[in-house]
Amino acid sequence: MRQSLYKILFAFFLGFMLPQMVFAALMSLDAKTTQVQIGEKFEVNLFINTAQENINAFEGRIIFTKDILNLKDIRDGNTIVNFWVEEPKNQEGTIIFSGITPGGFNGKNGLIFSAIFEAKEVGIAKFEIKDARVLRNDGTGSAATLAVVPLDVVISEGASAEIPIITKVQDTEPPESFVPEVAKDETLFEGKWFVVFATQDKTSGLDHYELKENRQKFLTFFSRWRIAEGPYILQDQELRSYVFVKAVDKAGNERIMEINPQNPLGWYENYENWIIMILLGVVIAYVIRKFLWRR
Amino acid sequence: MMKFFRINIFFLCLFFLFSIFYFLDSNVNADTTSLTITVIQPSVPSSCGDHSCNGSESCSSCPTDCGACPSSGGGGGGGGGGGYVAPVTSAVFSGRAYPKSTITFLKDAQIAATTIADANANFQVSVSGISGGNYIFSVYSENNKGIRSALLTFPISVASGATTKVGGIFIAPTIAVDKSEVKRGDNIAIFGQSAPDSAITISVSSEEEFFRKVQADQNGAYLYNFDTALLDIGQHFAKSKAAYVTEVSSFSKAIGFMVGTKNIIAELPKVIEKSDLNNDKRVNLIDFSIAAYWYKRPSLSASADLNGDGKVDLIDFSIMAFYWTG
Repeated sequence: MRQSLYKILFAFFLGFMLPQMVFAALMSLDAKTTQVQIGEKFEVNLFINTAQENINAFEGRIIFTKDILNLKDIRDGNTIVNFWVEEPKNQEGTIIFSGITPGGFNGKNGLIFSAIFEAKEVGIAKFEIKDARVLRNDGTGSAATLAVVPLDVVISEGASAEIPIITKVQDTEPPESFVPEVAKDETLFEGKWFVVFATQDKTSGLDHYELKENRQKFLTFFSRWRIAEGPYILQDQELRSYVFVKAVDKAGNERIMEINPQNPLGWYENYENWIIMILLGVVIAYVIRKFLWRR
Repeated sequence: MMKFFRINIFFLCLFFLFSIFYFLDSNVNADTTSLTITVIQPSVPSSCGDHSCNGSESCSSCPTDCGACPSSGGGGGGGGGGGYVAPVTSAVFSGRAYPKSTITFLKDAQIAATTIADANANFQVSVSGISGGNYIFSVYSENNKGIRSALLTFPISVASGATTKVGGIFIAPTIAVDKSEVKRGDNIAIFGQSAPDSAITISVSSEEEFFRKVQADQNGAYLYNFDTALLDIGQHFAKSKAAYVTEVSSFSKAIGFMVGTKNIIAELPKVIEKSDLNNDKRVNLIDFSIAAYWYKRPSLSASADLNGDGKVDLIDFSIMAFYWTG
């Protein structure tokens, strides 16, 4: 009798759980090939299939067999994630990531990011997804049911394949245009003005940002770019400077965006105006001396 | 024993099917908007590829036959050569919102364009200066009372050097109620705006979900007086969607109201309800950056902790992403 009861309970459990698994969002790791040779590079993609749910936040950890793999690069050029809370980075055999897609993503095969690995020793390279969580776009951040799919790649000895596993990226386009914004908040940086910026590069992915600020617009040409991350505390807290933000992609293409000063200098305070006036004066003096003096 | 096993299998199959239908049904209403996407490539002459540069072929339309165009135009004193014009990558969006409403387009969550819908609620907007690749485009509209629609998001793969046309966008109606609490048995007015003459379906959630239909007027305004005698005492939510000919919008944001023992007049829904950390009436990269600063920090800014659980984590960012305006 008891055995029968267990069977009925088991049937009900399966009946309830299986459909939930079928309709759960799915976070999966995928590669073009699961057989590589030592020295070969291959790409592992992290995808999300939302199973008709509208998902706006993603997080998790990818753990890989670091003893037999080298992580060479992480690409997020075509990601569905618009802003990274934690940008995917290698932390000793673990890639931690979390990010959001405002308005949500509802679809199949949404790329979260790609990682390029190099096989360095013979063995089975295991890729696992841990602590993964996806949240619904419902205004409360409720968690959606999620299933994960790991990946195994077999590394063997032998010559590298003639056909490269990774497609070479030819990128001649600059990063996407963007609008950097100046803001301040009493809870941040002791209420100092800061600038925020974010863009993407659809082909090779974004590499870094650089920034420079100067009260003289044209003399900014001579000042040096500094590597920057947003939010960046402005040096000129009086907001009298032009701010230039440069986005550089992994192929070296650049896009420069400019923010005009909120409190620009008066004409008499701007060296550039004085330089122009002096040069103009010199030219006029020269003309007078050269042509009018003769008469 | 065998008989019992068969019964078990029968129950299992029955339950499995039931559950599948249950979950399918719960997902049916998720998003019913269907978009039409067409990619228009620059025209290629039919004779292109015959190894002869003839007819309407040129270096830009048929480089196979005519050779590549020079990278820059003009020549030394000769007065200007042809000049190669690279094909432009762009995306054109069209659809329906509310008459004379402001429509804001976001590209990867940042404002790319704004436009005003015409008197029939139709709009069209072009986004250029983009490259080939995957984008998340989103759109929202603000009606004449300053009430904003839900953010409608669609991932689009843009082809390089081509115009991607996305049609059939139907922005969900706005929705508001006249009472935040209504005495059980009294009517509550559920109103908002959509496209003119569209058929509005209002859903009121309770233990049982009630659906009511109403026609929007020439200005797209709709109003339905819902009899709350059908509802239990407690919190309820209403949402609406619109249909026009064959197009159907997704559901609007859900608006809450209480069924109780007294009537309390409601205010119009706030333009921004949550997540505007720097109080500039927008939820955008600045707010995200402020929240990101406090992410997983031991000390905490109360304003960034949107769900009030004592920490700034992914849930707070999810709430912010829901209220995003760009």
